[in-house]
Amino acid sequence: MKALSLIIGVLVGAGLIYGTLDMPKWGDPHSAASTHVSSYYLHHSLEHTATPNVVTSVLADYRGYDTLGETTVIFTAGMACILLLRGRRKS
Amino acid sequence: MFEFIVGYYNYWMYIGLMMIGFYAMMAKRNLIKKIIGMNIFQSAIILFYVSTSVKKGGVTVPILEHAHEGHGAHHAVDIMQYANPLPHVLMLTAIVVMVATLGVAVAVCIMIYRRYNTLEEDEIIMSIKRG
Repeated sequence: MKALSLIIGVLVGAGLIYGTLDMPKWGDPHSAASTHVSSYYLHHSLEHTATPNVVTSVLADYRGYDTLGETTVIFTAGMACILLLRGRRKS
Repeated sequence: MFEFIVGYYNYWMYIGLMMIGFYAMMAKRNLIKKIIGMNIFQSAIILFYVSTSVKKGGVTVPILEHAHEGHGAHHAVDIMQYANPLPHVLMLTAIVVMVATLGVAVAVCIMIYRRYNTLEEDEIIMSIKRG
């Protein structure tokens, strides 16, 4: 089992490394991740939200629905833990 | 050759860490060790994304300077000076989901221990087969 897991791990790792050859180089300032929406957020965050912290303004203002989903996930996990650990019934 | 390695080595490091966690999830017999492997895997994914937010030439954290100079003063923001804030934001949600998953997984492990009185995978399977 351990040898098979090692082989599978190495194969999946090799496949992932082959997949990263298409990604932009590390630190590329003109990569796709750093140009379209991200520059809009950096330029207009202060006038739209009056917050110098851009991460806060994106998390709470521009992407507020994602934060709503995240709190739903936390609530669901808490409910699951409560329902699982409610204690044994002595029969 | 050196340029090639310098351009991609951060991705390869985090893929290596991901595969260590993946191997732990598959190969270990104890349930808690499998959960730790899952945690290593998720942390590696988070680090992988955050590492794509840096820009060459020295960037600082994405907190704007000159922000408290009154409403009228608008300084032009030089985006090459700040790190990309978007991966940081997305990975905050991912960290929260990671912690939630860890909590529910450990709760399930507690229930398994209460029922079978062991946390080794082969002993649990044997106990299920015996009925």
